[in-house]
Amino acid sequence: MRDFFSKRLSRRRLIGAATRASGALAAASLLPQRVFAADNVIKIGFLAPLTGDVAAWGKPGLDGCRIWGEWMNAAGGVDIGDDNYHFEFVAYDNEYDPGKARAGATQLIHEDGVKFIMMLGGDTWPGVQPVADNTGMLFSTLLPSDLSPETTTLLAPAEVHPIYNVTGVDWLARNRPELENYVICAQDDALGIPSVATYLAAFEAAGIEALDDPLLFDPATTDFAPVVTRMLSAKPDIVCLDTAYTDYVHPICEQLYLQGFEGQIISCTADFYDKIIERTSVEFAEGLVFQFPDFDDPALETQGVNFREPNRFFEEYNQRHPGEWGAVSWEYASIMDLWTAAAVKAGSVEPDAVLAAMKEGGTGLHAFGEADWWGNELFGIDNALVGNWPVVVIENGKAVIKEFGNIPEWWSKHGDLLVKHMEAFGQMHYQRG
Amino acid sequence: MAERRTLGAAFALSLVVALAALPHLLTYSQQEILVFLVINVLLVMSYRFLALTGEWSLGHVVMMGVGAYASALAAKRLGFPVPIAMLAGAAVSAAVAWVLSFPLFRMKGFYFLIGSFAAGEVIRLLWKRFRDPFGGPKGLKRIPEIADIEWGVLQVDFFNPVAYYYFCLAVVSLSLWLLWRLERSSIGLTFHAVHWHDGLAASVGVDTRRYRTLALVVASAFAGLSGALFAHYVGAINPTRFNIEEMVYVLTWAIVGGTATFYGPILGVVMLTVLNEVVLRKMGLEQARPLVYGAILIAFVMFLPRGLESVVPRLARLRLRRPGSARA
Repeated sequence: MRDFFSKRLSRRRLIGAATRASGALAAASLLPQRVFAADNVIKIGFLAPLTGDVAAWGKPGLDGCRIWGEWMNAAGGVDIGDDNYHFEFVAYDNEYDPGKARAGATQLIHEDGVKFIMMLGGDTWPGVQPVADNTGMLFSTLLPSDLSPETTTLLAPAEVHPIYNVTGVDWLARNRPELENYVICAQDDALGIPSVATYLAAFEAAGIEALDDPLLFDPATTDFAPVVTRMLSAKPDIVCLDTAYTDYVHPICEQLYLQGFEGQIISCTADFYDKIIERTSVEFAEGLVFQFPDFDDPALETQGVNFREPNRFFEEYNQRHPGEWGAVSWEYASIMDLWTAAAVKAGSVEPDAVLAAMKEGGTGLHAFGEADWWGNELFGIDNALVGNWPVVVIENGKAVIKEFGNIPEWWSKHGDLLVKHMEAFGQMHYQRG
Repeated sequence: MAERRTLGAAFALSLVVALAALPHLLTYSQQEILVFLVINVLLVMSYRFLALTGEWSLGHVVMMGVGAYASALAAKRLGFPVPIAMLAGAAVSAAVAWVLSFPLFRMKGFYFLIGSFAAGEVIRLLWKRFRDPFGGPKGLKRIPEIADIEWGVLQVDFFNPVAYYYFCLAVVSLSLWLLWRLERSSIGLTFHAVHWHDGLAASVGVDTRRYRTLALVVASAFAGLSGALFAHYVGAINPTRFNIEEMVYVLTWAIVGGTATFYGPILGVVMLTVLNEVVLRKMGLEQARPLVYGAILIAFVMFLPRGLESVVPRLARLRLRRPGSARA
């Protein structure tokens, strides 16, 4: 090696070194990547973006699953039927591309022999849907807008995005009755649009007036000054950031701060909110309402919450991945709790048996309490697990759960409004694609 | 001469046998990657065809998207059989390129590059803006696949990657043969003239703008065909799939492989796909992909500016110099 650097780097030497390195890489790639001692290993597929713009909603979830798996295995695994099993997660980076998601799904099913595949969903699900239909594999998504009556093996067991956003608006209307109007902006994509429809329904149900049409910006936007200027020109009491990616939420908040906004902010997510506070101030962020708690919140250690040791999980996660806790860090792990309970109940790890056990009785234990399998009116199939969802507010620079809002209760009163706005944006299952 | 012909025929036969056997040597997921690789070969080769006239476009992947959208809509909305829809997709792509050629060929070089990017972005924004018929940001899904074939004992399911690979291989081989014939014809020679001496070519009566338009239209037609092959296999497309990031991949394949020879871009796309989808994935180094791609691009620009294709003749010369070689 010293010899390599001591001589002048020439084209021939570089090509030679590159060829040898490529050979070594190729040889290493043929070696087995995973070694596991236990005989009975349940392989679980993790098919989500681990690189690229959307990786923030994939990678932290995989990190959370690995902690969950280590805890389960350290506790001796789980007894399913007559056997004891350990867990292994097999990840495939789909780069948020439907073609790569399809290749990943086939690898996980045909080569890795997984029994269940967790996905972020969204743009990648349509590429995987034919694979699900052809193989009968059980899949989960974080985005229930992927659900459709055609695919019965796709579940949304953790996150009912964007329906839970109604709980934040409902809480705001009850606790800040002086707020009378709002403006909303969102990126014009598969995640932003159904969320806009949900917020419009929630604000209408709460009697809060829209000052302008939703401002839909292109996902390629990097300069948010004009977006914020236009929103603030209406002098709103509330600025709603919809379900925006971290790369949008942070600069929009910074612009709101710079342009002197002192009103209420509501957002679906506020991942890495400490960075928002760094770029603005503790006073500016005070009262920001969103939907994803830190798991060190004492409210999560109360009865009815079905996530295993949330405070310890949060501590462990932050030790291993400091500063990376986000909206999805716990969600995939909570899906694993649900899947494991169903597999134990079914006495089998086979997808059809687990699915039947999971949906038996029409209810399930969601992370935030008992919930119903629901969704026929919106998605054409009752495959979304819907119950309570936390409303989180930033107080003194820290996220605090204020209450657990009840989504089915809101739906029973205002479901027609949600259907109306979803239809207006072409988001009902019979309007898609 | 006869010996050379025999060698050529033997090479061609070996290539056919190797390509036919290849999917049976791979795993299921590698077969899936192979399908995308074959489609990408057509995409990058159509890009090279455009580059023959000296113009580098940043809108070529969008033309792939035009073919994908047109073919998907023709099959979904108009009920065209998928193979016919694919041809319609290629035709629409060619037509859109022809329309775009009027403003674009008022520019040359760097200005054409930026103009093509802007034109591509306009098309992508139209797909996002008009939910009917393009599906908006979510795009189109449940795009029909090629109908299964059931003729007695012959049963072909095109959901299977091996079957679709053979279909793509046939389409792409025919397309490459057509591109090769065009390049070897007087039209191809004129493209080279337009590239290297457009003033001189114009002075002897060559309508350089017309030849540039022809290259753009033909290249876009084949790019559109590659998009149609993609759409009917994956079953879903959206505007993000055809963005500038994908275009950077095509440029990288072309630069790493080289564009002077017919086989250069094929070397580039094959090498980088294997590196990206097999080696880096197997090693769990997906997150290092941008770093690896950047390093490769810099290394090639610095040390192999004419791409991988420039290595092939050197290897051939080395082989000839080896003691005991027939011509040594």
